[in-house]
Amino acid sequence: MPSDKPSKADRIAAANLMEEASEVFDNCISCGMCKSLCPVFKILKEERVSPRGKGIVLSDKVMDKILFECTMCKACEEKCPLNIKVCEAVMKGREAMVLKGRGLKSNEEMIENVRKCGNPFGDKDVKDPEKLYCC
Amino acid sequence: MKLNKNLIKIYESDASRLKGNAKEVVHPRNVAEVRGAVANSARVVVRGAGTGLAGGAVPQNGMDVVLDMSKMDGIHGFDKERNTVEVEAGVILDELQGYLARFGLEFPVNPSSHAVATIGGMIATDAVGSRAIKYGKTSNWVKWVEIVDGYGEVHKKGITELSDYSGMEGITGVIVRACLKLAPRKDRSATLVKVESLEDVVSVVRELKRNSAVSMIEFFDKGISKELELGEGYHLIVEYESPRDDPAGPDGAGALTGKEYEDLIKLRDRVYPFVAGEGYTRIEDPKIMIDRFVKLMTWLEARKIPVFGHVGVGILHPCFNHDQEKLVPEMMALVKRLGGQVSGEHGIGVLKKGFVEINDQKILRNVKKRTDPLNKFNVGKVV
Repeated sequence: MPSDKPSKADRIAAANLMEEASEVFDNCISCGMCKSLCPVFKILKEERVSPRGKGIVLSDKVMDKILFECTMCKACEEKCPLNIKVCEAVMKGREAMVLKGRGLKSNEEMIENVRKCGNPFGDKDVKDPEKLYCC
Repeated sequence: MKLNKNLIKIYESDASRLKGNAKEVVHPRNVAEVRGAVANSARVVVRGAGTGLAGGAVPQNGMDVVLDMSKMDGIHGFDKERNTVEVEAGVILDELQGYLARFGLEFPVNPSSHAVATIGGMIATDAVGSRAIKYGKTSNWVKWVEIVDGYGEVHKKGITELSDYSGMEGITGVIVRACLKLAPRKDRSATLVKVESLEDVVSVVRELKRNSAVSMIEFFDKGISKELELGEGYHLIVEYESPRDDPAGPDGAGALTGKEYEDLIKLRDRVYPFVAGEGYTRIEDPKIMIDRFVKLMTWLEARKIPVFGHVGVGILHPCFNHDQEKLVPEMMALVKRLGGQVSGEHGIGVLKKGFVEINDQKILRNVKKRTDPLNKFNVGKVV
């Protein structure tokens, strides 16, 4: 579902969120320990999806869809010797992307489906369309 | 998948925090893909976990293709009779240890980055770690390596040619597979020893080294001990080993076992990140004889440089903050005057290139010319 052009207020809010997300990594020493428990890295085995990778992207205030490749489990934060709140930063990055109309298409479709049909699959043949259900 | 410029940047630095420039990133899944990538690239930089502290995996000139070996994580060919296992280069040490635990075996070299360090990276840097006093370097535990040369050809290199690849920081070829020797798992305990003076550290270390059950002697200076809430004075973490379930236990076994032991060892793994978090981000790794320890430490203490390290094997980790970094060459000169080595375990990479002795440079250049005639691998590093 294509997003509307973001308003000026949304653009400012997105810029502020990216600034805040970037500041979260000011103390990062790039030791890479965050990778050790990251379930996304464990499966994909690519540095780009590691918490350290997301930190580099967010430090540069770059909006990239890798920010959506995170389970928000905070395992990286458990391992981080400097207690960097990676997930908080990733969430801010996602918010900024959505405000700028750069959220994931699949997420927007899912939200649209929930609004229209009460379920994320767009299934109209449900017994009680007022009731929200999921998998 | 071709990465965009913003994502390539992720591969342009490592734990040294040096910044470089890469042309492209490849994540090979098997040897054939490594061969293809190498054959089709003019310059190649191999990357393991990216935990190097000397910039060995940082691409330099915008021409380098980074090979991230993380996807090559297969563990094959376990030989229970010979106590060996064949692994791909991207296998993470802790994951290998988890696999081996069921057989009562382990890979005994233990760098503090064991949770993420890859076997390929450990061989390429000849990683040392905290148990070097008993088990030595990674290369002591490698039977053979399989490498890809600049033409994309695969070769198996046994013990006689291993030194062309182990500790060469990826300047001679791509390590794709290795056969590792394994040791029986041990029961471990530890003791925290408080020491009042530097001279006492030397005598305690000498005494401990006579005990064959001691597998680790880690040193923390006064400042770090205080910050870690260990108390006043210098501290040593001493680890002891005994065969599993040995009811007698080793002589002088450590007081801390089980969770208390694990907590103490975790504390040791956290020291560098902790010190770096305080602003002391440049970590060095000089290696000296224990009888020169006091001289080097006195110099470092006078300049308020925090120090910890594997004192059992003479490797110290002085940590410099931004203002103190200008003192690094002076310290290296002192280390050389004391008959030590400028790098005990982190490697030369980019950061320590200027400190390599001329004779060593000649030897390294000869090895590089012989093994990498196309001058393709990790150009600009080590020599």
